Amino acid sequence: MALPNTNIVQNAGLAVKRIRFFYALLIVIVALFGVRLFYVQVIRYDHYKNAALSDQLKEYQIPATRGIIEAHDGNQIVPIVLNQKLYTLFVDPTLVKNPQKVASAVAQIVGGHSDDYLSDIKTKNTRYVILAKRLTPAQSDKIMALQYPGLGTEEQDYRTYAQGQLGAQLLGFVNDEGVGKYGVEQALNQELKGTPGQLKAITDVRGVPLAASKDNIEQPAKAGNNVVLTINMGIQAQMEKILQDEAQKTKSKLLSAVIMDPNTGQIKAMANYPTYDPAHYQNVDDPSVFQDAAVSNAIEPGSIMKTLTTSAALDLGAVQPDTTFYDPAHWVVDGFNITDIEEDGGARQQSIASTLALSLNTGATWMLMQMGGGQISDKGNAAWYNYLHNKFQLGKPTNIEAGYESEGVVPKPNPNAPAIDLTYAETSFGQALQVTALQMAAALSSVVNGGTYYQPTLVDQTIDANGNVATNKPKVVANHVVSSKTGQELIPLMQNVVAHYRDTGFSYMNFDSHYLVGGKTGTAQIAEPGGAYYPDKFNGTYLGFVGGSSKPQYVIAVFNNQPTVDGYAGSRAGQPVFADLAHMLINDGYATPKQ
Amino acid sequence: MTYSSSLALSRSQFSGRSHNSVSFRASSRTLGPISNTIILIVLACLLGLLYLTQVTKTNAYGYTINTLQQQSAQLKSENQDLQVSSARLQSVDRVAASDQAKSMVAVAPSGTAQ
Repeated sequence: MALPNTNIVQNAGLAVKRIRFFYALLIVIVALFGVRLFYVQVIRYDHYKNAALSDQLKEYQIPATRGIIEAHDGNQIVPIVLNQKLYTLFVDPTLVKNPQKVASAVAQIVGGHSDDYLSDIKTKNTRYVILAKRLTPAQSDKIMALQYPGLGTEEQDYRTYAQGQLGAQLLGFVNDEGVGKYGVEQALNQELKGTPGQLKAITDVRGVPLAASKDNIEQPAKAGNNVVLTINMGIQAQMEKILQDEAQKTKSKLLSAVIMDPNTGQIKAMANYPTYDPAHYQNVDDPSVFQDAAVSNAIEPGSIMKTLTTSAALDLGAVQPDTTFYDPAHWVVDGFNITDIEEDGGARQQSIASTLALSLNTGATWMLMQMGGGQISDKGNAAWYNYLHNKFQLGKPTNIEAGYESEGVVPKPNPNAPAIDLTYAETSFGQALQVTALQMAAALSSVVNGGTYYQPTLVDQTIDANGNVATNKPKVVANHVVSSKTGQELIPLMQNVVAHYRDTGFSYMNFDSHYLVGGKTGTAQIAEPGGAYYPDKFNGTYLGFVGGSSKPQYVIAVFNNQPTVDGYAGSRAGQPVFADLAHMLINDGYATPKQ
Repeated sequence: MTYSSSLALSRSQFSGRSHNSVSFRASSRTLGPISNTIILIVLACLLGLLYLTQVTKTNAYGYTINTLQQQSAQLKSENQDLQVSSARLQSVDRVAASDQAKSMVAVAPSGTAQ
């Protein structure tokens, strides 16, 4: 019997040992991997997860689209303030290799001087410098086509004003931080700005969000509400033209006007001159022009206040429309003489109608006396204050949707205050108190509409992001301001004032007899810093109504600050503006004739 | 060569020499522990690859979404620009300066229908 080959046996044994060795080695290697993986993925899980998230997880705020502002144009609603995507040009100075070349290229595309851009590009210790704003998409594309390192553009929404300067002060503007300033933009900023959204997502190296991550958060932005104003663009445009022409003619410092619907409180037009271009607000030197003076400029209104004094006296029953009285041509109150202008003649019988037509300060003071039982008294002062403050809402903001509204000043009838009777006598003819054009329009509206004080408003509708329309209903602030009988009694008295001026040489006060037109002039002295009045500075005001039949359709207030005219500021600087506005409303078919 | 096959081989080598040995037939081949381990590792890797492909495929939708969102934003921007252009064309100043407006004359009402 042959013995097994020991070599083969030995070789087989060696092979087995090698196999076992390499198997063990494989196990060790796999174990090493396993231990390392365990360490990285379990022990150091939080560390590496946070490191990855810090690099990959990006959080973005999605800006909300600001609501647009629209207005009425005939039967249509047209946008007047919209959004437009423009671009901000920025540079990272650390990445720019050839500043001169970059500056020249930017100047060629954007305009301006390359030296200005060069100094910006060379700014030290920063990686973000804005070179220009409001680039058009075409300009942005040209900049990006240059492919200069460090030069870039970013998109931003800017407000654009399709109607140019129309309604600049009542609209306001939006600054570069996206905050509304002045006007409707400020007052309704919360409603217009919307709610930004949020995007939190794992992104790739280019910042593109990856869909498959349970940690992704996407909250869409909620666009701001669109607002439809009560403004009629046709009336507004013509009012602004009239104010511009009149202000230049009378060389006024400031001219404001309001046209209001007395039966709803809706403002149909409101403007001032001088004005500005809201698309270029940053170029304005004097920021006072941003103010809507019709709501922010409170002045002593002068004799237009006599319409409210008459209303209060009629409503209290202290006088009747046909009451006559003996006017001594002057009253002495607290040691001071209250007189009329020379043209009114001397002491004689007067009436309520002549008090308004001739604008008798003594007549207005007499009516205040009747409110107090025959003389100026605490009782009369308190009754008049009640009408001024609680019924006509003077000395309080109207809460119209406009920034920086002034509440004005109405003195309280404090019996212990020095010269309170003189103060109150002066308030009866529009001095010693301060009101805005809007306040006067709203107050007269509450009389001629039969006794309801409606809150003045610029907003007709709001439209949310889903297209739901909410109509702004007229808001009643006070009822029974005066009786409807009082309103009906005042209207012909004010018509008589218009007729008086028509018949005494002011031919422009000749209106078509089919239309209801009434008004009152005001020539107000301007107070000096020391407390007295300037002898040669006046404001010209006018308060009136146009259109409608039993109740006026439009109430108009005009405040003309420091016009340079021959004669009385009221009749020479306030009244012509009213006349132009009234003729415009009649001729262009906005005013309806009497039935 | 596996361990068992090496044993089978050595047995077969000796089977021809000893007539007393039982006739030996090599057992069917099976996988040894090393093969098993390697196959397990390969299977694990395949599973991992499968997972990665699915996640990558889902993530790829992110690019599609991003592209569509960019297109949507572009269209919205163009729509915005068109709205602005349309509003500007209808502006009061532009209409007032138009040839048609210039050829019109202002009139006051000549009468009122009763």
